[in-house]
Amino acid sequence: MKLLYRGAEADLFEGEWAGAEAVFKFRKPLPYRLPVLDEEIRGQRTVHEAEIIRHARTAGVRVPYLYYVSPRESLIVMQFVGGPRLKAFLQTSGKETGEVSKDFGSAVGTLHSAGIMHGDLTTSNVIVGKGGVHLIDFGLATHTVKVEDQAVDLRLIKETLVGAHSEVAASVMSSFFTGYAEVVGEKKAKEVGKKLLEIERRGRYARVE
Amino acid sequence: MKEDLRVLGIESTAHTFSASVVSEKKGLLCDVRDIYAPPEGSGIHPTEASIHHAAVASKVAQEAVTTSGVGWKDIDAVAYAMGPGLGPCLRVGAVTARTLSLSLGRPLVPVNHAVGHIELGCMLTGAVSPLVLLISGGHTMVVSYSSGMWRVLGETLDLTLGQLLDQLGRHVGFASPCGRRIEEAASRSHRYLRLPYTVKGNDVSFSGTITAAKRLIDAGEPFDDVCFSVQETAFATAVEVTERALAFTGNSELMVVGGVAANKRLAEMLGVMVGRHSAKFHVVPLRYSGDCGAQIAWTGLLAYKSGSSIPVEKSVIRQSWRLDTVPLPWRIAA
Repeated sequence: MKLLYRGAEADLFEGEWAGAEAVFKFRKPLPYRLPVLDEEIRGQRTVHEAEIIRHARTAGVRVPYLYYVSPRESLIVMQFVGGPRLKAFLQTSGKETGEVSKDFGSAVGTLHSAGIMHGDLTTSNVIVGKGGVHLIDFGLATHTVKVEDQAVDLRLIKETLVGAHSEVAASVMSSFFTGYAEVVGEKKAKEVGKKLLEIERRGRYARVE
Repeated sequence: MKEDLRVLGIESTAHTFSASVVSEKKGLLCDVRDIYAPPEGSGIHPTEASIHHAAVASKVAQEAVTTSGVGWKDIDAVAYAMGPGLGPCLRVGAVTARTLSLSLGRPLVPVNHAVGHIELGCMLTGAVSPLVLLISGGHTMVVSYSSGMWRVLGETLDLTLGQLLDQLGRHVGFASPCGRRIEEAASRSHRYLRLPYTVKGNDVSFSGTITAAKRLIDAGEPFDDVCFSVQETAFATAVEVTERALAFTGNSELMVVGGVAANKRLAEMLGVMVGRHSAKFHVVPLRYSGDCGAQIAWTGLLAYKSGSSIPVEKSVIRQSWRLDTVPLPWRIAA
C-alpha cells in the first residue's frame, strides 16, 4: 500500500477494499506515550471516530464512507476522497477562495446542527473534493450541542488560518461565516461568534478588541 | 560606527531578578540572577517578590556589569522586560532600567519576555526559524514564525504546564517553583494512575488533570505515583499537540524553551517524537531555559539594531502582552 500522508497520530495509506479505492487509517503507537495510556487513547479514538463519521454522514455532511473498523488494530478503512486539502488549496488558489470557504462554513454548520463538534478543524482536515468540501479526521470529535464547544471548533479554524494562512485569513473567515450562518441561522451564528470572542479573551495575556 | 554593540538587559517578570550584558560580537558576557524564594507551601506573592527585587536590583545590575568585563560607559542600550508578567515585579525592572538609561544617557529598549525566551534559544542552539514549544509558569504555547510574527498554533486553554506542576506541589506543601521536586518524585514511580487527558483540537487543558490529581492525593495515593501520572499525562498532551503542529507546518526544526523545558522526561518524550519526523531538535541549555537577563539583553540587542527604543516617559509595563501581537523587525529584515 502506498503511504498517502504521515500525520501526527495516524498514517494514511492508499489501497483497495472490495474493489474500491480506499484509505487505510492506522493509528500508530506513539512511543513517547506510556503504553497503557497510548493503547487506551488509540482504541477509544478509533471507535469514536467511526461512530461520529457514521453520524455525520446521516446528518448530510460530506464525509468518507466507512468500509471497515478495527479498534484492536486501531484501523479504519474508508472511502478515498479525491482532491487537495484546504491547506494546499489556500496556498495555491490566490484569491478565489470565496465559494470553497462558504461551502466549508456550511459543512461545519451542518455538523454542529447535528450535535457534533469536530475538534480538529485545521485546514489539513478539509478536502476540496469534486462534489464539494469534505470533512475528514474525526479523531477528536465529540457529541455536543454546547455553544462553547462549537465556538472552540471555530476558534481552531481561525487559529489555523491566522497561524498558517495569514494573508487570506480574514476573507476565508468571512465567507466561512456566511456559509455557516446559512445553515445554523443568523441568530445562532451570532451566538457562536460571540462565544468565540469570549474564548479568545480568556486566552492568556489576551486583549481582544 | 562602533565596532561592537553592548546591551544590558533587565529581567523581572516573575520570581527572577536578573541582569545580563551581551555583545554583538561575543554573545553573552554574563548573566547574574537573584531569585525570590517563597516560603514552603506558597506561590509567588507578587508584592513580596517585588520587594525582593527592589532590594537586590542595584547589586545585581552592578555585578552584571562588573563580571561582564566592560564598563558602564561601554553599555550602548538598556533593555527591560516590558511584559507579560506580574505587575509589581515588572515595575521594579522597569524602574531599574529607566534609571540606568537616564543616568548613562543610553536608549531604553522594551522587550517581550516570551520573545526573549525564543530569541535567546535560537542564538544559543543555532535554530533559525523553528517551531517553538514555549513552556513555563507563564506560557504553554506552540508557535511558529510567519509574516512578521510568532503565530500561535496551539496553547493551553487554562493552566500552563508550570502552573500545573506548581499547584500540584503546593498541594503537598512545596514552594513554587515545584518542577524539580515533582520530577524527582515522578522518577521514583512507574505506577500509572489514569488522569484526564485533554486535547481539544490543537490546544491542551490541564484544569481537569489538576483537580483529579489533587483528589488522588487526598484519597491517599502515594505522591510519587501521582507526580509520575501527572507528568506522563500532561506532557503527552503537550507533545501530541506539538507533533500535530510539526506535521502541519512541516518545519525542519523544533525548539523547546521556558522553565519547564528543564524537565528531562519531557525532553525525552519530545526527542522520541521528533525522531519520527525529519526535524532537528533543539533544547536550550539548562541554565538558560528559565527566566534570565540574557533573554532580555540579547533580544534587546536585536531590537536596538533594528531601530527599536522607547522614550522613558512612554516606557510603561504590560502585564498582559500576547506573544502573537509583538512585531519582530529584526526577523522581517533577515
